[in-house]
Amino acid sequence: MFSDWLRAPFWIEVENWPISWEIGGTWLFPFIESIHVITIAMVVGSILFVDLRLLGLAAMRYSIRELARELIPWTWGAFVFAAITGLGMFITRAASHVLNPAFQWKMVLLILAGANMAWFHLRIYRRLDEQALSAASNLQLKVIGALSLALWSGVVLAGRWVGHVV
Amino acid sequence: MTAMGQFLDGAMSQSMALWALSNIPGFPPIIQSAHILGIAVVMGSIVMLDLRILGLAVPSQQLPEMANRLMPWLWWALASNLVSGSFFVFARPLRYFNNPVFGWKAVFLLSAIAVTLLIHFWSRQPDFASHGRTAIKVKAAALLSLGLWIMVAMGGRWIAYVEYLYYPA
Repeated sequence: MFSDWLRAPFWIEVENWPISWEIGGTWLFPFIESIHVITIAMVVGSILFVDLRLLGLAAMRYSIRELARELIPWTWGAFVFAAITGLGMFITRAASHVLNPAFQWKMVLLILAGANMAWFHLRIYRRLDEQALSAASNLQLKVIGALSLALWSGVVLAGRWVGHVV
Repeated sequence: MTAMGQFLDGAMSQSMALWALSNIPGFPPIIQSAHILGIAVVMGSIVMLDLRILGLAVPSQQLPEMANRLMPWLWWALASNLVSGSFFVFARPLRYFNNPVFGWKAVFLLSAIAVTLLIHFWSRQPDFASHGRTAIKVKAAALLSLGLWIMVAMGGRWIAYVEYLYYPA
């Protein structure tokens, strides 16, 4: 059923939207792609030092709460631009992307990275007070930090791989 | 530039890079991803530092502590990207050394490094913590550094596009 959905004529229709032709056939595509690369680097770069702090590897003089409060909004802000530009590129070749294993991996890893962030936010960031958050010996914090690093790196790798499959 | 390309064309470095790129499974996307992760570290270190100086990010972090802590990350990321990027340059030296955007990227990179070193130097001055942080020259340098690092990162993507637009396959 899911594989039928991936082969639905809808994806061809998406490719034939006027805006898809406009992006795919003009300077807009390279422009959008360069914004995509910059914003993804910002997504990963802004969350990086939160992850490293969770692992106890960097920025130890700052509390986890402080770092997360000031850095994660940059992650989200950059992510919004990465998602919009990503969608802009996706619609130019929607039918082939949904069947591209690298693209499918990227979407799965993206969902897992988001779930990991939700886990951190709901189970850790909101519940624990400043002192408990600073106790870096917490194994749960290290797992979240390591998962975040691995999943976001995976998103970058799978995303780069999309272009090598198409 | 062109002479450099001709020198590297046909050299042993070319056959080694081409061998790695074509024989190690997944090598090109893996190396490119490592390159993008290096750019991510540039964003997390110097770009965040620039945004801090401009008063736009991480208000609870202070200079010069921030600069001293993040600069090593920047240098390691640049070293790593020099290695990951060189595979592609060594594999097709003529393409890169004949490409005007590759030259621009080099100019932006060297300028970005120079401005960044200047900011780091300023941040270490004894009077910096008292009034230097808000000095207009420091903010101007941070804005310039920010723009230059983004141009460096974008340059890589446009090297391929210029090739695609202007150089027939």
